[in-house]
Amino acid sequence: MEVEREIVVPEAPEEVWEALTEPERLEEWFATEVELDARPGGEGVFRWGDGDERRAVVREVEEAERLVLDWDDGGSVVLELEPMVEGTRVHVVESSPEFAPALELNALSLQAAAPAWTALAAA
Amino acid sequence: MDGARGGVDRVFAALGDAGRRSLVEAVAARGTATATELAAELPVTRQAVAKQLSALADAGLLRATRAGRETRYEVTPAPLEEAVEWMVSVGAAWDERLAALRRSLVVYGKSRDTLQPPPRFRT
Repeated sequence: MEVEREIVVPEAPEEVWEALTEPERLEEWFATEVELDARPGGEGVFRWGDGDERRAVVREVEEAERLVLDWDDGGSVVLELEPMVEGTRVHVVESSPEFAPALELNALSLQAAAPAWTALAAA
Repeated sequence: MDGARGGVDRVFAALGDAGRRSLVEAVAARGTATATELAAELPVTRQAVAKQLSALADAGLLRATRAGRETRYEVTPAPLEEAVEWMVSVGAAWDERLAALRRSLVVYGKSRDTLQPPPRFRT
């Protein structure tokens, strides 16, 4: 399962990229305490004020374009930057931990009754 | 644990479509909703929303209750609860983070501007 979000900011992708990859910048918006080695295979530790801690490994890095982190619980987060006339589109997809493929009856009935409906996602 | 995972699996498969996921998310965020209420806030027709809500109810993901001429929907409790909780809490976390990222970029941009010499010192 995924959660998808998107914002457009006036800054250039290179500026946003710094905020996504430099630990001290990440501490301004992502978590209270951040350690991150933003290179493929690099490790990240994110701590929040409520005592929560998540660890991640960097799966992909494309400077000013794409950062993919794999959480140690099996989930992942994909952050993508796209240059626009008005600045940068920041697109994020967080995926929940993987579950075994399942084609249960009600999922099939749902797909049969109402095929893919992506109008909302595209909007 | 296996039972809970199986339930979540089924839900994940049924929610494979991004548009349907956002619809379930929207119903969950409101507690209960009708097609008319959702269509008022989404860039799709009431009919399209009604069709998807009905399909989600047939699949057992939403519960439908007649309320006069309208059908009111709410998210079915477990097993959907677990998946929806994940979706709503992760979605809310990203809403907050992206708003904080936006603020952080503005603050950082301003502090950097102030580090540059004022115009009168330029040659």
